Amino acid sequence: MIVRPVALTDLPALLYLARCAGPGFTSLPANEERLAHRIRWAQRTFAGQVERADADYLFVLEDDDRQVVGISALTGAIGLREAWYNYRVGMTVSSAPALGIERRIPTLFLNNEMTGQSEICSLYLHPEQRYAHNGRLLSLARLLFVAEFPQMFGEKLIAELRGHADEQGCSPFWDSLGRHFFKKDFSYADQLSGMGNKSFIAELMPRQPLYTCLLTEQAQAVIGKAHPNSEPAMRILNAEGFSHKGYIDIFDAGPVIEAAVSDIRTVRDSRALTLSIGTPDAQAPFWLIHNRRLESCRVTSARAHQHGHSLLVDRLTAKRLQVQPGDTVRAVPLPKRGPQAVAA
Amino acid sequence: MLALRPVQLTDLPQLQRLARESLVGVTSLPDDTERLRQKILASCASFEADVQSPGGESYLFVLQDQESGCLVGCSEILASTGCNEPFYSLRNRPFSSESRELNIQHGVPALSLCQDLSGQTLLRGFHIDAQRVRTSQSELLSRARLMFIAAHPRRFAESVITEIVGFSTEDGQSPFWDAIGQHFFDLPYVEAERLCGLQSRTFLAELMPQYPIYVPMLPPAAQACIGRVHPDGQEAFDILEREGFETNSYVDLFDGGPTLHARTANIRSITLSRLAIARQSPEIDARGRFLVSNDGLGSYRAIVAELDVRADGPVGLSPDMLVALGVTDGEPVRVVTL
Repeated sequence: MIVRPVALTDLPALLYLARCAGPGFTSLPANEERLAHRIRWAQRTFAGQVERADADYLFVLEDDDRQVVGISALTGAIGLREAWYNYRVGMTVSSAPALGIERRIPTLFLNNEMTGQSEICSLYLHPEQRYAHNGRLLSLARLLFVAEFPQMFGEKLIAELRGHADEQGCSPFWDSLGRHFFKKDFSYADQLSGMGNKSFIAELMPRQPLYTCLLTEQAQAVIGKAHPNSEPAMRILNAEGFSHKGYIDIFDAGPVIEAAVSDIRTVRDSRALTLSIGTPDAQAPFWLIHNRRLESCRVTSARAHQHGHSLLVDRLTAKRLQVQPGDTVRAVPLPKRGPQAVAA
Repeated sequence: MLALRPVQLTDLPQLQRLARESLVGVTSLPDDTERLRQKILASCASFEADVQSPGGESYLFVLQDQESGCLVGCSEILASTGCNEPFYSLRNRPFSSESRELNIQHGVPALSLCQDLSGQTLLRGFHIDAQRVRTSQSELLSRARLMFIAAHPRRFAESVITEIVGFSTEDGQSPFWDAIGQHFFDLPYVEAERLCGLQSRTFLAELMPQYPIYVPMLPPAAQACIGRVHPDGQEAFDILEREGFETNSYVDLFDGGPTLHARTANIRSITLSRLAIARQSPEIDARGRFLVSNDGLGSYRAIVAELDVRADGPVGLSPDMLVALGVTDGEPVRVVTL
C-alpha cells in the first residue's frame, strides 16, 4: 500500500469510492464533473501552482495492484477565501448568591478563529480495506507530509468530525438551531455545504451568542459528539495529540479537534534518515516513511530498523517509495496498532 | 359610594389584604408588610413633592367604600420608568436572516432584553376585589389615574405604558417562564414573581439572558404565551385599550405578557375630560355615567356618578358627591364620560 497524490486516471476509482461512502460524505460527492475538477485542482496544488489559501492536497491509498482503495485530503489554509465559521462552546454564569442562584449555561459563540489554519479532511477507506495499518497510513501520511513541508501549512491542523445524525440524515442539532434560520433540512444544507456554500448558510445564522439551554434536549446532548462512524478516525488523531478544545461545527455540532503542528507526534518524532536496503527482521517495528517529494510524493508503512542516521527497509518498500539506497526519507515509527480510520 | 384617593399609612393592613389577593404577576403588590409600608411612604412623599419633571415618584391610590371604610382596590402610577433602577423589557423584533447568494431572506422573531421603555410613565399595581371586576368601579380605579395625569401633566412623561400580566395556569405554571427564566434562575414561576416583589425586579432582570432568544427555538406552549394576557388581566387590558392604548413589540421578560402604550396627549380620558364648575344640586336629571375628579394632589379624589353634563357650563353634583370629592359649590371638577 502507498499513499500518493491523486491522478486524473483515478477518477473512476474515486467515483466508486464516493458511491460507497454515500451522500453523508459531502466533501466527496459522487459527481463525475466535480470530482474531476477536484482532481485537477489537487494536481495543480501538488505542482505548486496555487496559493496556500486554495491548496487542496488530495491523496489516494493504492495497493500493489494499483487499485485505489482510499482517499484523504489536506488543505493549505481554511477561511482565507471565504469566512470559516465554528461555534465555541463557552459559558455564561447566572449568579445571585443572596438568592442561592448559581446557573452555568453553556453558550455558543460564533467565531472565525480557525482562519488560516490547515484542515485534514475527506478521509474514506473502502470497508474491505479496513485492516492492518491501512487506516493509519491513509490518515497519518498527511501529517508526515506536513512534517516535510511545514511552510505550506498553518500553525495548527484541525479536523471537523462528523456530528450526530440518524440514518435518515436528520441532525438533532440542526433541527433545533440551523433549520430555524435556513428553513431547510439538514441533508440539503449538508449537500450545499459540500458544494462550497457553507459560509453562505453560516451567514444566515445569528452572530450573537446562543444559550444552549434554549435548544432541545436532543440537540444539547450531541454538542461536541462525533458520529460513531467518525470515532475510529478521532482516536487515531487523538493519539497524535489532537484534542477537542470546545470548537464545534455550526451545522451538526460535531467536534473540531486541533493540534499545533509542532506538537503532533508524527511531526515531532519524524526524522530525515538515509535509506538502506536489507532485510529487516520479522519483529522489526513498523514505520511510516515518506520519500520527501512533493509532486511525486509517496508514503508507505513497513517494518524498518534505524541505525544511527540510516533506515533499513526491504527492497519492495524502497520500490514503493520510488527511492534508491542513499536517498533520504522522512520516517517515524508507527504507533502501536489501534483502531482503523474509516471516515473523517 | 366608592371614592378613589391617595393611599395613607393607616391603609397598610387593608392594602396587604389586597396584595395577598392580587394576581401572582402583579409584582408591584408584594404581600409583605415592610415592603408595602415603604411603598405607602414613597407614595405619600411623591404627592407632597414639588415636582417639575417626572422622576421616580410613585402615586398609589386606593378605592374605598365611603360607608364601611373598606378598601376594595388599588392602583398606581410610576411617574417615569428607569429613574431609580433600569427598566427592562423584551423587545420582539425579527432577526433578518439573509443571503443574496442563496436567494434567501426571512425574518426570525427574536426576543432581546432592552431598556427601550425607560423614561415613560408606567401604570401598575392594578387590583380590585373579584366581585367588582368589570364594573364601573374597576373602570374608575384604572382611569382615575389618567384623570390625575390630566390634572398634573408636568409630573408625567409624554407617553404612558403598562405591562399586562401574562398567561399562567391555575396551578401557577407559566410556559414562558419554564422555557426561559427557569433556565437562568432555577426557580418556579410563582417563586420568581414573589422574589420580584420583595427584591428589586431589576436585580432579577439582570440575571436574564443578555443575548437574543429566537422565538422558533422555544417550545410551542412558550411561543403561544408571547403577548398573551392572563384571563384575570384581561379587564385591565380592555379598559386601557378603549382609552387608545395599543400593544407594541415589547413583552414582559418573566411571563411574556404584552405591554400597552399610548401618547399621553392621545389618551381618551385625558383629551376628552374637561373642567367644569361644580354646582350643588339636590336633584340630578341623570343623562349618563361619568368619572368625576378634583384636580387636587394629596387631596385628589375621584368617583363614578350619574350626571347631567353639557358640552360646557357647570355640572350639578349631589351633596354626597361633593363630600366624596372634597369640593364645595363653585369649585372646579374634571369630568369625562364613563
